[in-house]
Amino acid sequence: MAPIIQIQNVTKEFKVLNRREGLKGSLKDLFSRDYKIVRAVDHVSMSIEQGEIVGYLGPNGAGKSTTIKMMTGVLEPSSGEILVNGNVPYKNRAKNAQEIGVVFGQRTQLWWALPLVESLKLLKDIYQISDKDYDEMLSLYRSLVDIEELLHKPVRQMSLGQRTLSDILAAFLHNPKIVFLDEPTIGLDVSMKAKIRTLIHALNQKKKTTVILTTHDMGDVDALCQRIVIIDKGKMLYDNDIEHLKRFFGSYRTLKLRLSGSRDELVEQIQKEIPECSVSSDEEWISVLVDEEKAKVMDVLSRLQQHHKIRDMKLEEISTEDVIKKIYEEGTA
Amino acid sequence: MNLKKYTTLTRAGIMESLQFRLSSLVIVVGNLLYLIVVYFLWKAIYASAGTEVVNGMTFYDTLIYLVLATALFGFMEMYVVWDIGRSIQSGKIVLDLLKPMEYRKYMFWSYSGSFVTQFFFTFLPTFLVVAAVTKGTISFGFNLLFFVLAVAMAVSINYSIDFIVATICLYTESIWGINIMKQVIVLLLSGATIPLAFFPEPLHTIVSYLPFQSIYHTPLMLLLDGNPQPKDVVTALCTQLFWVIVMTVISKLFWKVSLRQITVNGG
Repeated sequence: MAPIIQIQNVTKEFKVLNRREGLKGSLKDLFSRDYKIVRAVDHVSMSIEQGEIVGYLGPNGAGKSTTIKMMTGVLEPSSGEILVNGNVPYKNRAKNAQEIGVVFGQRTQLWWALPLVESLKLLKDIYQISDKDYDEMLSLYRSLVDIEELLHKPVRQMSLGQRTLSDILAAFLHNPKIVFLDEPTIGLDVSMKAKIRTLIHALNQKKKTTVILTTHDMGDVDALCQRIVIIDKGKMLYDNDIEHLKRFFGSYRTLKLRLSGSRDELVEQIQKEIPECSVSSDEEWISVLVDEEKAKVMDVLSRLQQHHKIRDMKLEEISTEDVIKKIYEEGTA
Repeated sequence: MNLKKYTTLTRAGIMESLQFRLSSLVIVVGNLLYLIVVYFLWKAIYASAGTEVVNGMTFYDTLIYLVLATALFGFMEMYVVWDIGRSIQSGKIVLDLLKPMEYRKYMFWSYSGSFVTQFFFTFLPTFLVVAAVTKGTISFGFNLLFFVLAVAMAVSINYSIDFIVATICLYTESIWGINIMKQVIVLLLSGATIPLAFFPEPLHTIVSYLPFQSIYHTPLMLLLDGNPQPKDVVTALCTQLFWVIVMTVISKLFWKVSLRQITVNGG
């Protein structure tokens, strides 16, 4: 089967006026034709299969939202080709819209003054969902989350978490082939985040919906995505399995130690003793990041034991968050 | 075309506007204050003129005209420019663009609900009060039918103008000045603030070649003329139809061209 989203060599450039400083500069800008070209997305290619959940990651301003806007058809790429579900999105926006759903974490598509159930009914008519499909979807929702109390609550009276949950339900309502979730868990508490992750996962499994998820929360990535794509400054840095990611960047483990003595001096001292590892400290622990390709954890431990009295220790696997941080840092370096 | 796709938006608009009772009340009070100002202003104008009839209109003709123009404004002014402008600035427009229908239609039908409520809550009561108070100045005949037809076309022309101005906001990303300018131009040249009969001859000629008079002047004239000449009615309605088509085409094309240039704000 052909991939549901195919992106080939896509570039998007924006023309931005060069702004000058100060009042005088602002006045000059009124007449200025001095534009610079900003490349928000730079030769990005990827293809996504039906039913995948892809984590689309990158620091702020990396070009994630621009890519998503091109996939949804709001923006036209400057060059390159995008095919979503066999359509060129910006040429057939209305047709494309019928097959996609979107959630932008900070905005809502629901009717502000009306209870949720009215918004759902509106979407039912707008997307021309049959009564049967609508009822089926609603009973699926009932089995996944407790929507009864939400249905009759006006959207403007909802908490951010309830509203995001409602927005996700609204985006999946017409059973789209693809749903774009742009930072869906932003600003939510831990239990609401968990609820939303479970919901997204269940809907993906039940309806085989392709999900493109952008987020800064590695909890979302760990809970949902098998595959991640990382982009920075418009360029693609990584596109592969999440498991592969950790191996790709070496097998790092963090050795956490509690020693007797002043922490700052110890950090310096240990760094000298084992120069192949990077040493840092926080309130409680001294952390030694060990690259297992270069040194064995047990070796490091025994070397340290010769000089220091170890009061307590623990070993941590590196988290996705650490790996991604490393990619961002190397990407920008 | 599946009509339900659109009428459901009308229904939502009606429900939404009914949610804000207080705001409707404030609008009614505001209009009342405006009408008081209009009353005294024109009373003074007629007093200083020293004649009963100025430019072919008596004081009561003028007053009825302006009261009804205000009521008409209450339901024709849609604040489309504000809303589209704001959603461009905040980036919310993306969500509306991603509805499976043309944006221009989506916005129109979203506003259609407030037409309905405004028609019943401001225009109709005002009209009935004016008709009752002026006892027989307004005739109830075919002129009502012509009026309804003319208002439907006026709504379309007005929406197209608003949509064109909103499209300009895509480029400027600022709304306030543009919207105020639009409002002043439309209200003045359409005859909503001053009846067109009071305009000096050169301006009158210019205005007759512009689309604005079709918005307020034409429907009100058709309503207030108790003894309509078929030729005048046909000319007026045909002129309106001409502008409906022209403005729709222009606003659609301008939007289509502009949308390709947009950069959508935010995240």
